[in-house]
Amino acid sequence: MEENIKKPRVAIVSLTSCEGCQFALLDLGEKFIEFATQVELVDFRLIEDEEDDGRELDLVLVEGNPVTEANLKTLQSLRKRSKLLVALGNCAAMGGVPEIKNYHEGVNTIKHVYKYIHGINNPEIREIDNFVKVDFTFPGCPITGEEFLQYIPFLLRGEIPTIPDQPVCVECRAAGNRCLLLDKKPCFGPMIQGGCGAVCPTSRMTCQGCRGLRPTGNVKAMRAALKNMISDHEFENIAEIFGLRDDIEAREKETK
Amino acid sequence: MQIKINHIAKMEGHTGFMASVIHGDVRSAKLEVQEGIRLIEGVLIGRHYVDMPIIAQRICGICPVVHNLTSIKALENAMGVTVTPETEKLRSVMELGQFIHSHALHLFFLSLADFLDMDNDIQLISTYPEETKIAVRLREFGMSIVKVIGGRVIHPMNNEVGGFKKAPDAEALRKIVENSEAILQDALALGEFFRTIKIPDFQRKTEYIALGKKGEYAIYAGDIISSEGLHIGVDKFENNFQELQKQKEVIKRVEHEGKSYMTGAIARINLNRDKLNPQASAYLDSLGFVFPDYNPFHNILAQMVEVIHCVEETSRKLKEILQSDLEKVVTQPYEVAEGVGVAAVEAPRGTLYYHVEVDGNGYIKNANIITPTAQVLANLEDDIADYIKQIIDLEDGTRQKKLRAFIRAYDPCISCAVH
Repeated sequence: MEENIKKPRVAIVSLTSCEGCQFALLDLGEKFIEFATQVELVDFRLIEDEEDDGRELDLVLVEGNPVTEANLKTLQSLRKRSKLLVALGNCAAMGGVPEIKNYHEGVNTIKHVYKYIHGINNPEIREIDNFVKVDFTFPGCPITGEEFLQYIPFLLRGEIPTIPDQPVCVECRAAGNRCLLLDKKPCFGPMIQGGCGAVCPTSRMTCQGCRGLRPTGNVKAMRAALKNMISDHEFENIAEIFGLRDDIEAREKETK
Repeated sequence: MQIKINHIAKMEGHTGFMASVIHGDVRSAKLEVQEGIRLIEGVLIGRHYVDMPIIAQRICGICPVVHNLTSIKALENAMGVTVTPETEKLRSVMELGQFIHSHALHLFFLSLADFLDMDNDIQLISTYPEETKIAVRLREFGMSIVKVIGGRVIHPMNNEVGGFKKAPDAEALRKIVENSEAILQDALALGEFFRTIKIPDFQRKTEYIALGKKGEYAIYAGDIISSEGLHIGVDKFENNFQELQKQKEVIKRVEHEGKSYMTGAIARINLNRDKLNPQASAYLDSLGFVFPDYNPFHNILAQMVEVIHCVEETSRKLKEILQSDLEKVVTQPYEVAEGVGVAAVEAPRGTLYYHVEVDGNGYIKNANIITPTAQVLANLEDDIADYIKQIIDLEDGTRQKKLRAFIRAYDPCISCAVH
């Protein structure tokens, strides 16, 4: 058991979400099994049905939105227990598709779905960094498995890695894709954080920004480039899908 | 006596369980769903239809493919968009890939440990390294199908209303066909392993619902059929099946004529087994089930049968696709039109139903999504109420374990059920 003492204690926890980011880890197959044997996995519900011992953690990876009161309690207690807390994917980091409601009917959206709404937790969607300190983010909807493998060794050593500030375009060009903007397709690639392997444009799907604005991403230039393709309203609409719109608005305020 | 399980792991989503038993009489047995609401149908209203598959498939990280396919089909039906037979066939293969990797995940990594009396998969993996490798290979095969056709395993983006954004790489498809022979042997070997697992005996009669299609084991298309003789078009689904919400609950259970029913692998095997591919059919025969089969634990073996079937089917269909002009799957221009559309596709966990209304500019006026887990929840609770009687005298810990195993055998997907 002595070996166990040295292994970093890691929890992978899902709040309200599709759990796709956890599956992106599981889908790494043998590489994930290798990772799992290097650490002491305290809580990863997809592969174990044992009670979490509640002791201190070295690292916790959190996926999803705090929607229920229990979600929020879980998030806060994980922060207290863990040296590092990392956002796993778009929902935790940026609000994800559930955040769309914030931009429209807000909490009243529930009326389209449920007849009885009393006693159901139905908050505005807020990213986890509104509630706890977040040390690092694995971006994307879902996260990129290979990127996880690249940065997780840093986190296991207690270091915070930095994702290089480069647009999706770098990998898109490297993949030999024809630029979607040339075909008048409203692609957000230039202002969005790369590292996904440009997986969407490679399928001829425009980048909708699930990985978030890159540090020096230029929203003004992006708006100007898309002016002839889509209206401002359509621009905001696309930015809503992955919870990017509030980040764009904040960035525009900063740079004014 | 109260039987309470706070949290059931090794399944998709968050749920607990609560039952009340008085003098051996089960008064209530209820899944306590703890999932938060994301209001996916609500956020779709007012949005442009092209956003719908992108948003709706994010209901589920295990089965995004079926949400992608069903939402696109419903939109095409709403707007009167027709697609080429090549597109239809390629989409149906995408769903076969979804079945293979989802089933391999559930039957091996989520459920198997329960029948070997193990608490976690680390133990399972170290005790059965060879079988683990096979299960991983099967999953990777299924995932490769989705990736090549859809562009990505989780939340694919290549499929859209009207067809595919681009044709799949023929060389990559050929590789899948080449692999399929070895993968079929893997699936049969894993099937043999599962045949040796001791599965608990429990029976309760219920109604089975699935898609049914002439001459084909229905997955991508078909009518709604049942073991009680129901046979209706998909457009009649909401007339025959009722969604019910109880106060303070976030899951809407579904009933057929006031009663619970079952959908998923075991329902499909019961209803459509005569249309299975040869190796899958032979494997099913070797299991010696007596039909109708009402043991819900057999759902796991039914999934194994389907993995074999889907590997055979993938190979057959891809060979046909490779004979045709792949460019025919690429989206052709179409008109945006006002309309109401419905669609149903078999998800790994059962029949997934979509209803969508689109206005003349392509904006969504209304959407309703009825998932397999929402449909089987009432059946699961009815089953458990009966099953508890069998295990009531067991010691508390053992009884809990049996209940967890039972619930997991159903392969519930709570994120889907709540969405």
